[in-house]
Amino acid sequence: MRSLHSVIPDRKRDDQLLPIVSKTKKAMPRTMPRTMLSIKNLIVDIDGKTIINGLTLDVPAGQVHAIMGPNGAGKSTLSYALTGRSGYEVTGGTATLDGIDLLALAPEDRAAKGLFLSFQYPLEIPGVPSLTFLRTALNAQRRARGEDEMSVPDFMKLSRDVAKRLGVTPDMMKRPLNVGFSGGEKKRMEIYQMAILAPRFMILDETDSGLDIDALRVVSEGVNALRGPDRSMLVITHYQRLLDLITPDRVHVLAGGKIVDSGGPELALALEADGYDRYKDAA
Amino acid sequence: MGLVSPILTAGETALLALLPESEVGEAARTAIRIGGLPTRRVEAFKWSDLRAALADGLPPADGSAGMVPECLQDALVIDFAPDGLGIEGDKGAGLTIETESSQPLDGAGIIPAIAAALAPKTVVLTITESQAAPIFLRRHPGSPMRIRVEAAEGVEVTLVDTGLATSGLSTALLEIVVAGGAKVTRITLQDGGSAAIDLVHAHVTIAAGGLYEATALTFGGRFARAETFATLQGQGAHCRIDGAYLLSGHGHADATTRITHSAEGGTTRELFKGAVKDKARGVFQGKILVERAAQKTDARQNHHALMLSEGAEVDAKPELEIYADDVACAHGNTVGALDESALFYMRQRGIPLVQARALLVQAFVTEVLDIITHEGARDWLSGRVEAWMDAASL
Repeated sequence: MRSLHSVIPDRKRDDQLLPIVSKTKKAMPRTMPRTMLSIKNLIVDIDGKTIINGLTLDVPAGQVHAIMGPNGAGKSTLSYALTGRSGYEVTGGTATLDGIDLLALAPEDRAAKGLFLSFQYPLEIPGVPSLTFLRTALNAQRRARGEDEMSVPDFMKLSRDVAKRLGVTPDMMKRPLNVGFSGGEKKRMEIYQMAILAPRFMILDETDSGLDIDALRVVSEGVNALRGPDRSMLVITHYQRLLDLITPDRVHVLAGGKIVDSGGPELALALEADGYDRYKDAA
Repeated sequence: MGLVSPILTAGETALLALLPESEVGEAARTAIRIGGLPTRRVEAFKWSDLRAALADGLPPADGSAGMVPECLQDALVIDFAPDGLGIEGDKGAGLTIETESSQPLDGAGIIPAIAAALAPKTVVLTITESQAAPIFLRRHPGSPMRIRVEAAEGVEVTLVDTGLATSGLSTALLEIVVAGGAKVTRITLQDGGSAAIDLVHAHVTIAAGGLYEATALTFGGRFARAETFATLQGQGAHCRIDGAYLLSGHGHADATTRITHSAEGGTTRELFKGAVKDKARGVFQGKILVERAAQKTDARQNHHALMLSEGAEVDAKPELEIYADDVACAHGNTVGALDESALFYMRQRGIPLVQARALLVQAFVTEVLDIITHEGARDWLSGRVEAWMDAASL
């Protein structure tokens, strides 16, 4: 394998940098951020075929990590395996969120723990108005966490405030979820749901696909507004352009079912310039 | 040709014993003696074996007639009860209620023959002015109903009928005559228990520019069959027949419609949607017959069903029979499972599986109930759907 280290010699690695900081500047209150999502040696099969093959990845709290990779690398498989879709069989390894074993939980319980997936292709839910759907989801999550349900007036206020920010129209909120929505509207609705459900760990699966540049900006602003010290994100994308708007802390290359390279935001630029060919034999 | 007398089942014997010594009783008796009750070998009953359902005899009548819901408190209630006919509420102007002896209804089949024979009287509603308040026809367990509604030219009336017996044989025969430009709306709730045999036949004629619109919510029973035979006799007559069914356990419900267009420019809209779980069986047989004279007919029929369990069954037979050459007729029929992708999507948002399934099923059948324009009745039936969802634990 030809490493990118030679291409970008000045790149610094967190794992080398951070211990030095903590050793030399003892007076600084800054501590190493705790790991939020931790994936170790994950193996995922679909119909008996191994798609994810020994993937290891840690995402600390407050960080945005991007996963890039060629088609068929297993990007969507990773997001479905983490969220518990049936047919995505985990045959090895672990995945924890704040130390909680995700793989042992039903999809709805993973959601209640704060895991959110923005779908590459959001599903249409005929007959269920978007707002009804969202209030049902929010209150189901709150119940699962032992919290009180949100009252209708509180929910209406929240949904209106967020809608204004994300350009979600009252018509979209009333219509059955995603039914008859354009590609851009569906993606905006995903981010709208994300903003209202306020998850702690977000997976954005090809959120940029099907978006024109204006819609991409609205969606990115919505995503950036959710960044914070207690939230983390995994941004799965094929292209660099989304990462111009949502700047990642780390970029990982997924090829052949495992992470084959990691680096800072500049890695995405290098990939954009050189493509994924160099990783062909990495897996 | 010699008549072969079939061996009578306990149910047939018990039913024969109930039939009166009258012309209408004799007509039903002859029908049963010759062929027995229909079995699956009879095409029109191939998924609804009435003989088998009654093989062990007639279960005793049980259950309640149900309360009149709050939203229909203004209704005129006509009770078909064991001790006779009861009328509650204020009778509107332009409505007369009379009774006459029940006579055979020729050529409509075994169910109306039995229903006609068992009914002690025919209640005749003559409506000469539009009725603001609905007319609520309440069938008590074990009390047969026969009614004829004659809606005069241009009048509007809403009928609500229920069949809620938990056990026993219940029958109803409705003859509805829609005069020119009149509008008759019918809303039906059927919810029978595991020992309920519910046989209903509606015989409808619609004159020029008249409208018959019916919506039924059905939860089935041991055997429930609701037939509607409608004829669009006058030019530009309209017919809308919709139904939603939700079946569980060993429940059975059969919606059989036969809509005949005999005049020009008539329209038919038919939408049936249902969901079945456990070992339940839903049956839809819908025939639209367009006669040669009925040019410019516009008829659409749709039936869509969800199978919620492996052992559930849905049988559908959509039929278009067209003899006119300038018509627009279409039908659609689908039977499938809940969309797994949609379920995963909902669960990913935190909605538990049972609730996700209920939301999807409810949304699926609600499309039918949403057509009801009487707001109170729509909410009433929606409430029954929700209650079923809670009880069925999908």
